[in-house]
Amino acid sequence: MATGELIELRAGVVPAPRPKRVKIGTIVRHVVLVGFMLIILVPLAWVLLLSIKSIPDAYRPGFWPEQFDFSHYSYAINNIPTLARNMLNSVLVTTCTVVLTTICAVLGGYALVHLTLKGRAVVLALLVASLFFPTRVTSLIAIFETQRALGLINTTVGLILPYVTLNLALSVFIMRGIFEQISHELVDAAKIDGAGAWRTLFSVLLPLTRNGIVVVIIVNFVTAWGEYLLGVTLTNDQEVRTLPVVLAGAFGGMGQWAWPRIAAVYVMAIAPGMAAFALTQRWYMRGLQEGALKY
Amino acid sequence: MASTALVRRGAATGRAAVFLSHTGNWVFLIPTLFFFIGWQVYPIFRVLWMSFTDYHFLRREPAQWVGFLNYTNALADPLLLTGLLRAVTFTALFLPGMIFVPMLLAIMVDRVSHPTLATTYRLILLIPAVIPGPLIFVLWKWLYNFNIGPIDYLLIQTGVVTQQTAPQWLGNPSLVLPAIALMEVWWGLGYHTMFYLAGLAAIPKELFEAARVDGANELSLFWHITLPRLRPILLVLVVLRFGTAMAVIDEYLILGGFNRALPTYTWTVYMWDEAFQIGDWFQGYAAAIGWIGAATMLVVVAGLFWVFRNRD
Repeated sequence: MATGELIELRAGVVPAPRPKRVKIGTIVRHVVLVGFMLIILVPLAWVLLLSIKSIPDAYRPGFWPEQFDFSHYSYAINNIPTLARNMLNSVLVTTCTVVLTTICAVLGGYALVHLTLKGRAVVLALLVASLFFPTRVTSLIAIFETQRALGLINTTVGLILPYVTLNLALSVFIMRGIFEQISHELVDAAKIDGAGAWRTLFSVLLPLTRNGIVVVIIVNFVTAWGEYLLGVTLTNDQEVRTLPVVLAGAFGGMGQWAWPRIAAVYVMAIAPGMAAFALTQRWYMRGLQEGALKY
Repeated sequence: MASTALVRRGAATGRAAVFLSHTGNWVFLIPTLFFFIGWQVYPIFRVLWMSFTDYHFLRREPAQWVGFLNYTNALADPLLLTGLLRAVTFTALFLPGMIFVPMLLAIMVDRVSHPTLATTYRLILLIPAVIPGPLIFVLWKWLYNFNIGPIDYLLIQTGVVTQQTAPQWLGNPSLVLPAIALMEVWWGLGYHTMFYLAGLAAIPKELFEAARVDGANELSLFWHITLPRLRPILLVLVVLRFGTAMAVIDEYLILGGFNRALPTYTWTVYMWDEAFQIGDWFQGYAAAIGWIGAATMLVVVAGLFWVFRNRD
């Protein structure tokens, strides 16, 4: 193919050293890239700015307010009756979901790569199939039925069970990709030293998979923190709902729901994800390089 | 040397013990399988069973088996057919932007040689990826807002439209799907760019150098080196995004609501409406709608695999 020919061509020709100067193409490229960065950042800057505008400024068109007002955050927490509760609900559901999914993914990924399993192919095929099937939408009616049978309709904790599956297949594949980067010799060496399957995982392999685990945690955190469809279907009362479900139902009006106040709620809703990402991005990027993207 | 001997000794232990230890390995998969089967595999087949009954959630009478009645009714239901067509329209609007914009962006980011700049670009690109989808939709619902949204404000300021002709992005049937597609491209920009960057990093740089020496221009470099090497990633992205685009629901519920005249009322919203809102919650019929939508998708996904099959 073309690539093969190119390699042969290269063998005969020594590339000339290129002169070092900034080319017009480079400048154009950076201008376009900065344009894209602005497209990403401006909407977020807008909502951040909206949350610190005075109320008259918020209802007047224009980006920059004449007067700032930083009280919307405390106002929202103190005066939107269920808000603190909704935040707690989100924290509870997200934490449990992330912990459970990560445990599943680590154990599952490890077993699928480093342990002998009869029927591994069946499990893998099922997990892959679930990625290409609109599971989330199609299974909704029966999940509602199951949750009702378990007495978990309109409860916050009940959401955890279906939330775990949202990214389960993906998480198992991420961990599988990470475990595949670890040589089998290392696992064999641990076995020879007398370590069982569990010891091998916890004392030998787990420290090596840290970056991948960060990727799994971030991916699941983002999904669980913002989940809407199951939340709106399986809960009814505002006090058992999670933050995004309440926020999606809110519409800028007057009083508690004045625009800058819900913008403040919005900023509080997206802040944890950003903070978590900012703190862990080093490992996250490395995890992506180590095979999290190669499923 | 010593290790091989030990491995051999290990292999020599009784077959029964080996089998037992292998069965024990399944313990590691129990948590995954518990959730996966309980909340994904079982519900899908349970919904399949429901779709053959006249199950109404709010009725007292037990469900009766009705065979293919729900399916024949649904396939003659103009609302479902329109809903499927609307989902296809949205997919067609959304896929090209979702595939090609990040590809171009990735090629540009990949060429950035300055390490700090390259990292900064990557980090900014990933910001939307760490905001959960539904919160993105809430943000864009506000951005598109007629009164306070900055998009109409910008258009008025630049003189593209006036206060009177400013578009109602989410209220206008011909604008709402492109508006949502644009939002999706924005949301996926960073995530998909990272996918392509991973693929680009795997292409040996010498290939480009050699081709340049040979006098190849940028376009033929892209066509003969970059594109063929990115094909596996392209396939994964097209198939995965096709699936999400056809089965979009959160976006429509948050940005469109239950207005049947709006193109956001697709098969997914119709299914939800029928199962959890209209009348006495005819979930048997809704289940049939769900499976028809899923089956349509599967057929096209299979077609995509065929189109992208390895011809070498």
